[in-house]
Amino acid sequence: MKYDMKALAHDFWYGKPHQERRLGDLYIDKTGLYKHREWRGFKDTMYYFYNIWMYNYAHMVMDVVRYGGLINFAKGVWRYRWVGQTYLPVLHWFDRGMEGMRGEGLKASAWHYRGMVNATIFQFQRMFSSDANLRGGKRNYRWHHNVAHNETVWGGVFYPWHGKLTNVPMEMIPYFVTCHVNSHTVLNYIDAVQSIGLPGDPCPMCQAEAGLFVLDDMPDYAPIVITSNEACDASVSTSILQDWFLDKPLFAMPQPMQFDDPLLKKHCRDEIEQCWKFVEEQTGIPFDWNSLVKCIESQNELQKFEWEKWDVAAKTDYYPVNGVAQSLYRIYQSQFGDLPVWHEVDGHVRKILNKCVKKKINSFPETRHRVLAWSCAPLYYSNWCTWAYNCWGLNTVMNMDSLMFNMTIRTDSYDHCLDDMAQYHMWAPMRRMAVGGMHHIFECWKYMEEFNCDMVMMYDQLQCKGMQGVHGLFEDEFRERNIHAIWMPHALPDSRTVSRMEIRQIVNDYMTTVMHEEALDPTLLEFDDSMTW
Amino acid sequence: MKAKILKALLMALGVNAALFAVFFFDLDGKFLFYVVEPTLKKHYDNMPRRDMTKMPYEMNKPNYEYNV
Amino acid sequence: MRDLKHLIAFENLLQEANNELVRQGKADGKRALGYTCYFMPEVLLDLPGCFAVRLRAPKCTSPDMATYYMSSRTCHYGRSLFERALEGGYNFLDANFGTETCTVTCRFQEHLGYMDVIQNPDFFVTFTDVPFKKNQNSIAHYEGQLQAHVLDPLHEKFGIDISDEALMKAIDLHNEISAVINEIGDYRKLDNPTITGYEFQVIQLCSLVCPKELILPMLKETAKELKTRKPDKKSPFRCKVVLAGSENDDPEFTKLIEGCGAEVVCDRHCYGAVESRAPIVVKDGEKPLTAIARHYLETSNCPRFMPQDIMRERKQRLADLAKEYKADGIIIASNKFCEYWSYERTIDTIVMPRDFGYPVCSIEKEYINGASGQLRTRFQAFVESIEIKKIQEGK
Repeated sequence: MKYDMKALAHDFWYGKPHQERRLGDLYIDKTGLYKHREWRGFKDTMYYFYNIWMYNYAHMVMDVVRYGGLINFAKGVWRYRWVGQTYLPVLHWFDRGMEGMRGEGLKASAWHYRGMVNATIFQFQRMFSSDANLRGGKRNYRWHHNVAHNETVWGGVFYPWHGKLTNVPMEMIPYFVTCHVNSHTVLNYIDAVQSIGLPGDPCPMCQAEAGLFVLDDMPDYAPIVITSNEACDASVSTSILQDWFLDKPLFAMPQPMQFDDPLLKKHCRDEIEQCWKFVEEQTGIPFDWNSLVKCIESQNELQKFEWEKWDVAAKTDYYPVNGVAQSLYRIYQSQFGDLPVWHEVDGHVRKILNKCVKKKINSFPETRHRVLAWSCAPLYYSNWCTWAYNCWGLNTVMNMDSLMFNMTIRTDSYDHCLDDMAQYHMWAPMRRMAVGGMHHIFECWKYMEEFNCDMVMMYDQLQCKGMQGVHGLFEDEFRERNIHAIWMPHALPDSRTVSRMEIRQIVNDYMTTVMHEEALDPTLLEFDDSMTW
Repeated sequence: MKAKILKALLMALGVNAALFAVFFFDLDGKFLFYVVEPTLKKHYDNMPRRDMTKMPYEMNKPNYEYNV
Repeated sequence: MRDLKHLIAFENLLQEANNELVRQGKADGKRALGYTCYFMPEVLLDLPGCFAVRLRAPKCTSPDMATYYMSSRTCHYGRSLFERALEGGYNFLDANFGTETCTVTCRFQEHLGYMDVIQNPDFFVTFTDVPFKKNQNSIAHYEGQLQAHVLDPLHEKFGIDISDEALMKAIDLHNEISAVINEIGDYRKLDNPTITGYEFQVIQLCSLVCPKELILPMLKETAKELKTRKPDKKSPFRCKVVLAGSENDDPEFTKLIEGCGAEVVCDRHCYGAVESRAPIVVKDGEKPLTAIARHYLETSNCPRFMPQDIMRERKQRLADLAKEYKADGIIIASNKFCEYWSYERTIDTIVMPRDFGYPVCSIEKEYINGASGQLRTRFQAFVESIEIKKIQEGK
């Protein structure tokens, strides 16, 4: 067989051009594992090997040691399914998200993932190093200085105790992040809660959040619990079961629903202040205004940079962050609250962003369509957008959940600060668009225009009553406005309802029958990844 | 001294190559998928667990209401 | 037992939303105000010059048009209401007062506001934010919301008198209706009740869907009739049950339960009398609107309430009702796709028998259920299990 040595050398050094990569050929059938990882050209492959793969493995070990030690980690892995089954293959999560990526896009997106990994390790190590379950029921100093809360309670509520108390959401690590890293873990929790009689139709996120407790898979790491009504009816109801299984002092801090109504602010402010009183009373540690101000101002910096990123994403072709990194990082960072790693990540990304804008580097040169992803995303296939870009040139520029918490908070006075915190609190993930009136969910058109998108990926969470309740109106609006919209059915974390393969098939069908386009990489059209993480 | 440096360099190269092999052939993923995860899953499936529906459900809980 | 004189008339009034008395109320120049949820205080919609109509969609088994808009994966009740609206069944309404309390009915009411469904040029929709707690902060918030989104629009758009005097009149009317309904309902507490659960539910529903002043005479006559109604010598029922749960405006469902031998002696569900017919008490020095806000929060047993003590108190309340009405068991029925009650039912099904000794029949139902063979089997089995339990306890 004759080889074109010149072409081979070119491909070795630069990597194959997009249409020749044949990424689908790399998969081992069903498993999602790679026969070998991508050769992205010499530079990018070495970057991936040293600066992503090795760097993250090394830093994960360092983070584990720093935040709680190897022994606590080992005990946690042995005790809790959601750690051992999920977080060991975390580098494969990187792989899935970064498939096909090169250059500045690869670097910037990987930094976002690094931030999330660090925050994840921080949280579960804090849980394990405080966990009474791992200590024969003994409650140590850390246990007494933690606050447990629903993952949908904004972490910023606890800023007044920064450094004195550590707030750790109950479900973010055991549930939310696991769905992205290993989609199978969560199925145990959904099944568990259904085994005690819960019907199968409520939102599977809420089912899993309750199921963690049914399976006795929740660490006992804090003396008090704060719950929230965010985002929906099922979230409210989940706390009914969580309260039973936790059996600890519990403060409910619901946010008003009709958040455009200026009359609501006082009520929301009062709820936050009552929560603060509860924390003071239960822990004996007083509220610290200076701590609150410092953290809010730090958080404001994160928001301002996020706006800069959106500006670049909306007005140029030089945004170097892929759809999955954009959405996951944004939700994680804004929901959890301020952490040093977010600033570190933003520092790295800022340099890359500035470079891309200055040198007009297009990290997604095969973009055929700029996509706005709307509604609640499938957690078990958060990297669908990476596949969609590689296969069809669909560049998911922005998504709905990134657009919540879209404000900075004033710190010039207590009143202003609390006013803004109340507003921020009400603008939480999913609910910012999904509740308080239909006009919020129809902000889709405004953001399409703002981000110059010509297509919508309309997530269709089959068990979300709020979004199912507006399905028909969206159909009507898409038709009337002549918008190319692909409906992507899914069940949030539950891959059994609509598989990844079915999702890809839906996109494939739309792109061929409606858009009449050819795939950029035909090997990605059909493959079996039914057992993949 | 030079020999020691050379030896250290060769060892580093060797480790580097080995790690690269693990990376490039996705050996870490395969190990986790075929060995670690099934072992751990078996352990989790067979772990004794509390029946959480036996948790008590006391009626008298405090009302957390404060003057703000 | 002797048939109640007005039962057929009551049943006829439930056949459509725009029934004879509603039409009469409209003809008298009053405004018909629709609502779906207990958290929309019925008493405010019964101010002089208007009347409350709690929305139902009788016999709606196939909400096809609504399903296009709201998909088949949402509560059948919300979809049925929307279907009825699309069919023109609610064109008599002058306004709808919505609450963002449960997602699906909220979406239905949002559709009413967004689309041109109700063919009435005066029609408008408002939304009230309802708190998730019963504390002072929540009462104050709720009061503010009711003023801004119920009373002020009624006054501005329809010239309704919303003064404290008018509110007191509405409270008096509410208390009068409640007294009559409770008088009727108390007959279910007898060892051998002289009114069935089905009959009571029909009467209670009529009081929710008809103008109060127009239905009151028939209710009073029924109450008088019951004073002398003799029960059957041998009760046709084998046990007594509390019917708890989510939205339930279908008397055929109660008839189905009673056809299986379980007498429904208490109705602790969204359209039941336990909450809606509790009298409103205005404390000394309290504004009527404050009393109303306080009342509707304090009396509600909705699973939407989140504080720990309130969540737990609900189970005690259910047990207290079962004791008060001398029930042998509890049927907890939630609508399919009702998330609040799915969770509440799950915990009730375990805790009520375990901690309070009341057997529970846990049911998921559709909006219209009369013909369900599966449900019949479940209820029959439940009745038998109660009988066996009684035998084992030597009762």
